[in-house]
Amino acid sequence: MFYHVSLEHEILLHPRYFGPNLLNIVKQKLFTEVEGTCTGKYGFVIAVTTIDNIGAGIIQPSRGFVVYPIKYKAIVFRPFKGEVLDAVVTQVNKVGLFTEIGPLSCFISRHSIPADMEFDPDSNPQCYKTKDEDVVIQQDDEIRIKIVGTRVDAKDIFAIGTLMDDYLGLIS
Amino acid sequence: MSDSEGSMYSDAESGDAESEVDDNIGSEEEMSSPKKKRNIILSEDEDNDSDSAPKKKKRKFSGSGEEEVVEEEEEEDYDEEEEDEDEEDAGRRRKKKAHRGFILDEAEVDDDDEEEDELDWEEGAADLMERKSTYEGPTAKELESNRRLHDLMNSQNEDEIEAYYRQKYGDSSAMDRFGEGEEMSDEITQQGLLPGVKDPNLWLVKCRIGEERQTALQLMRKFIAYQFSEEPMQIKSVIAKESLKGYIYIEAFKQTHVKQAIEGIGSLRIGQWTQMMVPIKEMTDCLKVVKESAQLKAKSWVRLKRGVFKDDLAQVDYVENSQNACHLKLLPRIDYTRMRGVMRNSQPDNQKQKKRRPAQKLFNVDQVKQIGGEITNDGDFLIFEGNKYSRSGFLFKTFVMSAIIAEGVKPTLAELEKFEDQPESVNIETIPDKIAGEITHNFVPGDIVEVHEGELIHLQGKIISIDGNKITMIPKHEDLKDPLEFPAHELKKHFKTGDHVKVIGGKYEGDTGLIVRVEDDVVVLFSDLTMHELNVRPKDLQLCADMATGVDSLGQFQFGDLVHLDPQTVGVIVRLEKENFQVLSMHNKVVSVKPQGITKKKDTRHAVALDSENNNVAVKDIVKVVDGPHSGLDGEIKHLYRSFAFLLSRKMTDNGGYFVCKTRHLVMAGGGSKTNIQIGTPGFMSPRLASPAHPGSGGGGGATPGRGRGGGGGAAIRRDRELIGQTVRIVQGPFKGYIGIVKDSTDTTARVELHSSCKTISVDKTRLSSLTGARPGGGGGRTSTYGARTPVYGGQTPMYGSRTPMYGSQTPLQDGSRTPHYGSQTPQHEGSMTPGRSGAWDPANPNTPNRTSDFDYSLEDSVSPASDILSPGGPFTPQTPGTAYSPYGASPSSSFQPNSPHLGGSSPSPLGYQASPSPAGYGYSPMTPGAPFTPQTPGTALDHSNADWHTTDIEVRIRETHEEANLIHQTGVIRSISGGMCSVFLPDEDKVVNISCEHLEPVQPEKNDKTKVILGEEREATGTLLSIDGFEGVIKLDGGEKNIKMLPIRFLCKMPS
Repeated sequence: MFYHVSLEHEILLHPRYFGPNLLNIVKQKLFTEVEGTCTGKYGFVIAVTTIDNIGAGIIQPSRGFVVYPIKYKAIVFRPFKGEVLDAVVTQVNKVGLFTEIGPLSCFISRHSIPADMEFDPDSNPQCYKTKDEDVVIQQDDEIRIKIVGTRVDAKDIFAIGTLMDDYLGLIS
Repeated sequence: MSDSEGSMYSDAESGDAESEVDDNIGSEEEMSSPKKKRNIILSEDEDNDSDSAPKKKKRKFSGSGEEEVVEEEEEEDYDEEEEDEDEEDAGRRRKKKAHRGFILDEAEVDDDDEEEDELDWEEGAADLMERKSTYEGPTAKELESNRRLHDLMNSQNEDEIEAYYRQKYGDSSAMDRFGEGEEMSDEITQQGLLPGVKDPNLWLVKCRIGEERQTALQLMRKFIAYQFSEEPMQIKSVIAKESLKGYIYIEAFKQTHVKQAIEGIGSLRIGQWTQMMVPIKEMTDCLKVVKESAQLKAKSWVRLKRGVFKDDLAQVDYVENSQNACHLKLLPRIDYTRMRGVMRNSQPDNQKQKKRRPAQKLFNVDQVKQIGGEITNDGDFLIFEGNKYSRSGFLFKTFVMSAIIAEGVKPTLAELEKFEDQPESVNIETIPDKIAGEITHNFVPGDIVEVHEGELIHLQGKIISIDGNKITMIPKHEDLKDPLEFPAHELKKHFKTGDHVKVIGGKYEGDTGLIVRVEDDVVVLFSDLTMHELNVRPKDLQLCADMATGVDSLGQFQFGDLVHLDPQTVGVIVRLEKENFQVLSMHNKVVSVKPQGITKKKDTRHAVALDSENNNVAVKDIVKVVDGPHSGLDGEIKHLYRSFAFLLSRKMTDNGGYFVCKTRHLVMAGGGSKTNIQIGTPGFMSPRLASPAHPGSGGGGGATPGRGRGGGGGAAIRRDRELIGQTVRIVQGPFKGYIGIVKDSTDTTARVELHSSCKTISVDKTRLSSLTGARPGGGGGRTSTYGARTPVYGGQTPMYGSRTPMYGSQTPLQDGSRTPHYGSQTPQHEGSMTPGRSGAWDPANPNTPNRTSDFDYSLEDSVSPASDILSPGGPFTPQTPGTAYSPYGASPSSSFQPNSPHLGGSSPSPLGYQASPSPAGYGYSPMTPGAPFTPQTPGTALDHSNADWHTTDIEVRIRETHEEANLIHQTGVIRSISGGMCSVFLPDEDKVVNISCEHLEPVQPEKNDKTKVILGEEREATGTLLSIDGFEGVIKLDGGEKNIKMLPIRFLCKMPS
């Protein structure tokens, strides 16, 4: 799920950047440091929308670096259990499907793929398909999945999903 | 209900209790003998049932009443029922018939469905024990279903029926019936069944120990004997409780009845005079069955105590705690040598054979048939000689608890194997030795559990506390709000798909993962680490609250470590299991090894290999596989070993993402531009050589700055006394920021005793900065530079060439106090210090922005000219090969050569970052004591030589350092400067010579001389020297307006007039 949340971040700036462009550099640094990261609480930071406040920089004693506290708003993507999302299949193997939902990796176990779909190791690329080959899921296909569990680490989120529900599976 | 019961009892009282006793006897005695008779009775009953409808109702009531008693009194409570029956008729059988008919009529109205079952147990009960059969009839459920039985009975010959039942249920035990009893309990309010004041009391009578049973039987016989006499015994029942030694219970309304009954019974003599009445409230307790201390559970292993199966291993199928018995699965011991059935007589009975214990063997249908055995089918089971055998050949038989050993049973592997050769999975679970208080579960508070046995089966809840084996949980149920307590074995852990769990036992212990599937006994989880699916039992799992990343180390080994499998083979640990590793060897095989089998981790941090495009690839490089089995993948190099690279790729699902490739199959991501540059330099293959961090490590390559120094300084390790005792700060590495005292020092390293922690560590000197003002080694090294200029030190000069760049930054530091200090010491240090210094400074200076800022702060631009002058080492060499400075030729100063042209050029700033030389910086120079002292030492002149003062159109003097002796001390005019060389016009010789800048010194102007400012802000300005005031000269600058300045005399140079 996407959220627009207020976040805070501290930028540590080298003295060499002190100059007329300082604030621009601070902003630039915020973008590079924050966008694309992931926190367990808020999920993936997709984009910084607005910078609300750049606080007064504080020079670090004996280092010369300056710390700027920044308040900003960002769009974050936080996956939840039970959420239904569209994913791109990145890999197909006998264990299941590996998919990506934007920055989120999601694994769909063979156990979570409807029983009528079978893994076909001989086809190229490898795929899961129904007996009548009505539905074939292979790499780069878009599928709709439901998240059944997430593992949230400090710096990453990993999800496992299922196709065992109504309206899940290949989006055609 | 109670009413009916009451009446019942009173009836019983008046009537004789013969039949009841009779039943008791039946139960106590051999069970098989009364069977036949019983069956006949039964069938008769059935026959009559239909006739006596009105009686039925009553019977039903009594039945339920009975049931209560049954519940309460484990073994011998059937008497009541009998009494009821008795009440109605004197003759037992007749009474019964009437009774049955009564009941069954009513039952006709009811549902027939369960008739068969009913029938079954009735027959079985009859077979086993008469007492039970009497009571079983009337239970409410039975009554309901009697009609079918009835029909059956009508349609068949009694004998046939009997035979049928006997065969089928010959083995069935009392437990079956009790099962019924329990079911029944659901229908009847327990409360109403408790004994009341109107019921007979229980009297506790002392009995000779060990003769309780016989006494009960004796009493029964007596009862029978007196049954039709004038004074029949008026007791209701006699109970000998198995667990109660030395007492029997007698049920009667009055004590006198008891006394009458026990009169003349020898074993009760001691109880003759005192009989204790059991208070009504405690009556139920008297007959409560105390559970066996050992909690037998299905699938646990037990041994048998006696009989033909003595010491045999058996697996519990199910337990009837109420019956004090359990149903076991075991290997049958059938004597296949003994003939059965029709063939029985074909072989003479052989006593010896009989005595021999038959071997343990799975039930073999063919063999049994061969010896004439009769086998019948019963559902999934085969029945042979009254015993049930499963299709797989195991014997299923009921044993009393006392006949089995449940505690401390440790099945041997061989025994288990016998059980294992059948499809059911064998749980190697033994009943844990019941040491008091031992905790046999692995629940923890917070676990989600589900009740999997007992009344509350399937109830889920969350554990809130654990006390030994008692577990308190909050049920997850809308109607149950209060915590409930369960024994641990009644609970099992409950997990849902998507839960993140940790494996806390078994093969995968320590692994974590997400659950992808939950089955009955197994949970499939997707390991975080290995991306494998693991099958784990729920009991070995635990919700992992903190979402940990799982285990990745075992002892000294970690996931992803490079280890030696044998001296020639290495591999990467791709999975850690409880006791062994999965190692992906460099031959792309996954092997399982024990930690002991792996020799050592191998550090490959510095290894470098060539990829398919001859780029250098090293650990941590991102590469793409362009050939070989993993072609198309890309990943990060984790380890290098010879020509093998172990890569980690997120797209790889096997082996935790690790795979192995030949390095020749790789291509570095983004090409190898950066490395290509380096490739040109000799000895490049090891980055170490190029690394500024290891200035001393290089052995021979002259290319690095470090090398050049080495040539000058000599290889011998010398103690650097100057540094010893200094307080230094460590500026790099793991101890960065630490302050300590140098205890010992060599060319490259210093032993530093840390202030903060009491230890002495070896630190590369390049990583030290002196707190007392000088950079360790720097000061000395620097000063020596001056010395180097002097002929005396000529031999050392080469080493400075490389050093120069650092120079700029250093000088300001030195100035005041330092110079004199070092001046004297220089000779000592020269060689030893410099190597250390230069390594750190040379590469660092031009590259790091930090340096730039240093300059900014220190405003030491003045220095830079100095460095320029020093740098001529480079330019110098080409022109004067074979001179005293020839060593420069080999010096690394090549890197400076690009700068030198700048020098020579009109722009005085040699290096971009050094900005333009500011006189402000120079301002220090005169202040430095070095300046005043210069006259004493030949080094003085160097002050100038250090500065980039050279400019055109000034008078210079050739110093004695110049090679051509005849030119020394001549004065000339610089015509042009290029690349550190000045074209000097010598008026005396009337010729122009090229002289290296450093061999020139400016001629100081005298009063009224035309003067040019050669240093400082006003550089290049010209004017006239008005006067000289100490070290300062007053100069009137050209430019029209009145512009008189005081400048240090050293800033000034005479111009040719």
